[in-house]
Amino acid sequence: MVTSDIYKNEYDVIIVGGGATGAGTARDCALRGLKTLLVERNDYSTGATGRNHGLMHSGARYAVTDSESASECISENMTLRRIARHCVEETDGLFITLPEDDLDYQKTFVEACQRAGIRADIIDPAEARSIEPSVNPDLIGAVRIPDAAIDPFRLTVANLLDARLHGADTLNYHEVEGLVMNQNRVEGVKLFNKLSGEHIEVRGRVVVNAAGIWGQRIAQMAGANISMFPARGALLIFGHRVNKMVINRCRKPANADILVPDDTVCVIGTTSDRIPIETVDDMRVTREEVDVLLNEGIKLAPSLATTRVIRAYAGVRPLVASDDDPSGRSISRGIVCLDHAKRDGVEGFITITGGKMMTYRLMAEIATNAVCAKLGNTAPCVTANQPLPGSEEGAPNQSDMTKRYSFGERAAIGRHGSLAARIEKDNDIDNALVCECEGVTVGEIKYAVHQLHVHNLVNLRRRTRVGMGTCQGKLCSCRAASLLGELHHDVRRAQKDLADFLDERWKGMRPVAWGDTLREAQLTAAIYEGLCGLDMAVSNQGKEDKQ
Amino acid sequence: MRTDTVIMGGGLSGLTCGIALAKRGQRVTIVASGQSTLLFNGGSMELLGNIDGTPVTYPLETIASLPEGHPYRKIGADRIASLADEAKQLLLDAGINVEGDAAANHWRVTPMGVAKHAWLTLSENLRIDDLKQLPARRLALMCIRGFFDEPNSMLANGLKELGFEVDKHEFTTDEITKLRRSPSEMRAASLAKRLSSNNALQRIADQVNSLAGDADMVLLPSVFGMSDNDSYDILKNMVNKPLRLVATLPPSVAGSRMQAMLRHYFMMLGGNYLMGDSAVKGTLEGDRLTTITTAKLGDMPLRADNFVLATGSFISRGLVADYERVYEPVMGLDVDADKDREQWTRFGVLEPQAYSRYGVTTDATLRCAKQGKTIANLRAIGSVLSGHDTVKMGDGTGVSLLTALAAAHGILSDK
Repeated sequence: MVTSDIYKNEYDVIIVGGGATGAGTARDCALRGLKTLLVERNDYSTGATGRNHGLMHSGARYAVTDSESASECISENMTLRRIARHCVEETDGLFITLPEDDLDYQKTFVEACQRAGIRADIIDPAEARSIEPSVNPDLIGAVRIPDAAIDPFRLTVANLLDARLHGADTLNYHEVEGLVMNQNRVEGVKLFNKLSGEHIEVRGRVVVNAAGIWGQRIAQMAGANISMFPARGALLIFGHRVNKMVINRCRKPANADILVPDDTVCVIGTTSDRIPIETVDDMRVTREEVDVLLNEGIKLAPSLATTRVIRAYAGVRPLVASDDDPSGRSISRGIVCLDHAKRDGVEGFITITGGKMMTYRLMAEIATNAVCAKLGNTAPCVTANQPLPGSEEGAPNQSDMTKRYSFGERAAIGRHGSLAARIEKDNDIDNALVCECEGVTVGEIKYAVHQLHVHNLVNLRRRTRVGMGTCQGKLCSCRAASLLGELHHDVRRAQKDLADFLDERWKGMRPVAWGDTLREAQLTAAIYEGLCGLDMAVSNQGKEDKQ
Repeated sequence: MRTDTVIMGGGLSGLTCGIALAKRGQRVTIVASGQSTLLFNGGSMELLGNIDGTPVTYPLETIASLPEGHPYRKIGADRIASLADEAKQLLLDAGINVEGDAAANHWRVTPMGVAKHAWLTLSENLRIDDLKQLPARRLALMCIRGFFDEPNSMLANGLKELGFEVDKHEFTTDEITKLRRSPSEMRAASLAKRLSSNNALQRIADQVNSLAGDADMVLLPSVFGMSDNDSYDILKNMVNKPLRLVATLPPSVAGSRMQAMLRHYFMMLGGNYLMGDSAVKGTLEGDRLTTITTAKLGDMPLRADNFVLATGSFISRGLVADYERVYEPVMGLDVDADKDREQWTRFGVLEPQAYSRYGVTTDATLRCAKQGKTIANLRAIGSVLSGHDTVKMGDGTGVSLLTALAAAHGILSDK
């Protein structure tokens, strides 16, 4: 549907926030027959959804300290393996005990896992070394658990796609500036279209606040007060994948104790710091965070000491103080669903927050149940059983792929599952590789631009992984920018976009700019500034715009 | 092995220095890792393009106002004009057909259609001497179908903004269509290798001639001739309008050719070029370097009267940054670099980056030092030198050429 028609519509439900939770809620609402709109102020998966490990928790990490979260995790873990298998890589995980850790904790840990229903097998350190050669060889204990890796970008897009297939509308780059209020009732959202500069009001019978840490501000617009405690976590991406399995420390959750293999790379994290709510948009990673992550990461897998760090990033998890303890001492890591009619006397407004990327589907189900209760809809939730687009019965998966597929096709099937069939590959131009690190073809870029709401290179990266490999977009970003310029018929915008993309890549490289990452940065500068004069092209544009 | 001078690094500066010495009868050995930043060079040399973000029109006049630590100031502003003439002549002698004048910059046209200052540009490339008097009115921009390493839409747009009328045409030939079947083969270097025969060039010329219409100049991407000028010369005669080339994204065919021609010239002069090897260690006796050890020769160190460090910047691993410091990896020479890692870089990707000015410390004669003590027979040249900024000042290739010649003169006058 074209944007101007969306503006005129009235919806049963408007969901604020295009992370995994918002996307999942939009899907659930649409599947239950509600007329649904999702709005996101930036790109989809910009917030905490795109800024975590990409770990599909077994729940083991929470087994000892938070049995409720642990049970939720293992249940959702098993569900996602069915409904989102094209987003999941079944790696399994280890919880290792190092000489400086207390081996007695292992017993507590395994018992807690068993109580939560999580398979936890104690294995011999020698066996651990053999199934996971990168693990610290000094380990004195190991437990094998069903952790896995999940691609949160792909997961969110699959939910959005399915929501749209079932009639939902979605708008990215639309910021909520206020709520349409009628006395104590929320009746819609006031939107600012960041691409066109328009201000619009869209009506909806219920508004769901799924804006993560930014949800505190949305709630305030309705006069409701939620005490959020932003917990910031920084992570590092290494240039290749050293581990096959997820590696965790078998001790009370602490800094930088999880190493997750993700596609071609691996990720260590996280730090954990409470930060003031005013600073949640500042995602710069500090030198101290980098130092902690490296020092702790090397203890899990010693070869990280000599592996190139390609990027650092940080995300903010929305922790919520329970209502009876505004001091924040008793903070729940669990799912929080607030019906503001009961809590604050505001009708037509629900907040879904807390939780984890891992439990997004359950959060969506809880929020949708609350919406349906308000609207008198009795349709049951089917999201736990109905596969996401890309993971239907009979869809190809990576393990049974044969030589019939080219590198680009294999990569695309890995990213889009059965949807890869929609990628044009009728001619040799569509099969040409734009990004060699990640195997992204011209056809896949066209598909992303036409089907997956791609306005710029950063969007394109989130949909296809273009520029996410070891070269961090050295040549492919120029090829992709040139293609986008042609597809969007706006070359000058494409150049500005290219500069913004390089800047976004640089923001993540800068905290770890030494070794080969600094070399890549110098090489990128030599190509884009020295050879191509991109800096001059962009500053010339700025001068002309002022005139 | 006994040589007069051993040069560590076989890129633009190392080869230039080697050629200048070999021409005067020296026995020279170059240890070359095989990586050269000429692969990122579109076919132009820059003397000085920018100071503090302001384009420099007359480089020779401006050099005197550079800061003290700049390599041009070290070798002496008054020597720049004659060294620049000598460098240009050396390139011409190697068969590299460059045009340009150190007194006044011209403009080269980048793959994105930006006009950027340059000192010397290959005569085959599109060059603009005066933005008010363009070399052509109407251009036929010929785009190779499926070749994405020329951002054609940006190039066409940039050329229009410079005042050209541009007709964009897409074409292919049998050779190109065949190459396209392998999705990763459509790179400038692969095209150049595949398009070198007379038949292949004739098929391109046929396409160009039938499409060019009433344009008064034809532009093609620079994908002709990895090792000599023949491909371009043949094609130029087949195309019935003036033909110019535009640089592509790397690997640059023109850059590879310049590298190959310099190497060929050096070897023709009797130079010894050790390909795929690199210096790993140097042995000092007093204030002199006596030998260097290379990765491949192992326990057969290279002995010489003089040594030259031409190992390049971080890109070429002439400088290395680790978690804690910036260092020169062969000898541990003194470097000019900030100690605090946070000072190496700036927050915005297009801001001037401090690291790009880092390099080894030298005295006015380009001699290096270790722990404050000058090494009498070791000079540094090119990008490994501190105090200049290839990206922001547009001085990298000029520094490479001119410091190479200055070091060669120094070595020859020592005798």
